[in-house]
Amino acid sequence: MPISAGSAPEVRPFGPLRGGAADAARSLVASARLAWAIEGNWAQPVYLAAFLIVRPLAFLGLFLAVLSIGGSLDVATIGFVVVGQAVFQIVSAALEGPTHALLDDRERYRTIRYIFATPSSLLPVSIGRSLVKASIAGFSALIVIGAGVLLGVPMRAGGPDLVLLVLVLPLGLLSVVGLGIVLGGICVQLRNDAWSYPEAVSSTVFLLCGAIFPLEVLPGPVQGISAALPITWWIEGLRRALLGTTSPGILGAMPTNELLLILAAGTAVIWLISPRLFVAGINRAREKGQLDRNTAS
Amino acid sequence: MGSSVVGAEATALISRIHEETSWSLGRRVRHAFVSVVARAYPRVIGAAREPSWLFFDLVFPILGMCSIVFLLRSRGVDEAWIASTILATALLSFWISVVWMMGAQFHWERDSGNLLLYITAPVGLGAIALGMAIGGALGVVIRAVIITVAGVLLFGAKYQVADPFLLALVILAGVAAMYSLGVCLSSVFLISGREADHLGSLLNEPMQLLGGVYAPVRSMGTVGVVALGILPLAPAIDALRQVAVPQLAQTGILPVGVELVILLVMTIVFGVIGRMLLAHIERVGRAGGKLLARAD
Repeated sequence: MPISAGSAPEVRPFGPLRGGAADAARSLVASARLAWAIEGNWAQPVYLAAFLIVRPLAFLGLFLAVLSIGGSLDVATIGFVVVGQAVFQIVSAALEGPTHALLDDRERYRTIRYIFATPSSLLPVSIGRSLVKASIAGFSALIVIGAGVLLGVPMRAGGPDLVLLVLVLPLGLLSVVGLGIVLGGICVQLRNDAWSYPEAVSSTVFLLCGAIFPLEVLPGPVQGISAALPITWWIEGLRRALLGTTSPGILGAMPTNELLLILAAGTAVIWLISPRLFVAGINRAREKGQLDRNTAS
Repeated sequence: MGSSVVGAEATALISRIHEETSWSLGRRVRHAFVSVVARAYPRVIGAAREPSWLFFDLVFPILGMCSIVFLLRSRGVDEAWIASTILATALLSFWISVVWMMGAQFHWERDSGNLLLYITAPVGLGAIALGMAIGGALGVVIRAVIITVAGVLLFGAKYQVADPFLLALVILAGVAAMYSLGVCLSSVFLISGREADHLGSLLNEPMQLLGGVYAPVRSMGTVGVVALGILPLAPAIDALRQVAVPQLAQTGILPVGVELVILLVMTIVFGVIGRMLLAHIERVGRAGGKLLARAD
């Protein structure tokens, strides 16, 4: 369409975060559909389902086998591990998702240059990809919880605490996705081993967040770091919503309303910072020529 | 048109072609040996030139080890199990190398374009696989030692090795059986498409569970006993636990000698099957034109 004198064309700043909310929503939906196509169709549905079931159950079995070394297991301990292990499936997927999406597009499919050239913003694209990975992991989490029920884990009488669940679930998910996009913005600037950093962070968080053992087992100074992680409180909040009981030690001592406050404050801080860090990271990667680089790693 | 070769010149040429293509057994063995050394070289030397690889090869197992140790401590179990966990983590570093650096290697080489070079070079895939195995095992030894030392320093684990020779034999037999299985896995990965990464993941935690890596295979019941006969991790860690942590000797499923024999049989059987599978897949892949086709 020719530009007539007097009608200025719409200015769309070039960069990883541009356009209005409607543009962002369109990008997010499109990237989520793309992520489902990538994550969900690598095998026949029956194989996909088997994969989503076998690995998390093996993880759970591994931890329960280790716990059983210390003598017969009580259902409360199994419940603690089951919920922690189930929720961490989602944590891991959401933390690693944005980085893997960016690196997949940069190195494997070599499409990041095209995404960058379209009106889409990389931020909603990365969030969309991450949310789908987290949703697929959510299926595995349900399988693990189902296995726990079969093992006799006493769930909350009268079903899950829906009010707590509705408050805790999105807050925690947002905080993890926020941390994931920060990680993505950092890793896309790296040349070597960019794929490994998210897994290293995820493994460290697993160690710190009290997913499978109480925080008291960790050395004293490390417990402080654990308590500062929103993920720690997310898992504890979900334990309370699903099991109806509090965890032993520091985690259980926190009243639920304070737990919610900490989780909400942590999530707010993360989302205040993470988009800025992501944009800065992408811009720096672009300036350094890392955005379109194939490291063959 | 080029000039045609006739008479004595043609006879000489034919005889030269025969000489260069009909190798004696000795020459074939020498050539295979050189190929194995050439493929093992980057696994040992190249890996040492990239410190970040060493860093990540150590970070992941050590973090996993810490999780299991803290889990055990939360249950107040005997410290002997901590020592066993550290050994298991060191052994797992070999298994992870088998899955990703043996099994998935040809798959990655195909996607990055290197498999084309292997196929066109006068080297068999079997020799390359053996080179990867030997180089990989040598490269992982240093990582396994660092993991063990780190575990001992972090958690104060203690070992009582009465027979160091037997310990070395168990480690050697376990590693040989695992890498032998890796040759079989490389064929499976080579015919895999996008599912290869997921297949690799399935060979980690589920196999750690079945192999009784952190908890005795006895806790898995019949499935665990079956694993002793087909999964090298199971007899290797069971024997290692009995030899290096005598307090846990009573948890052993079979005597160490029997487990050594099982590992030896596995090494031979998996090696032969792997060699046959690789040759078959190479032949079928060439005929179908899919050997070098990228997965994605």
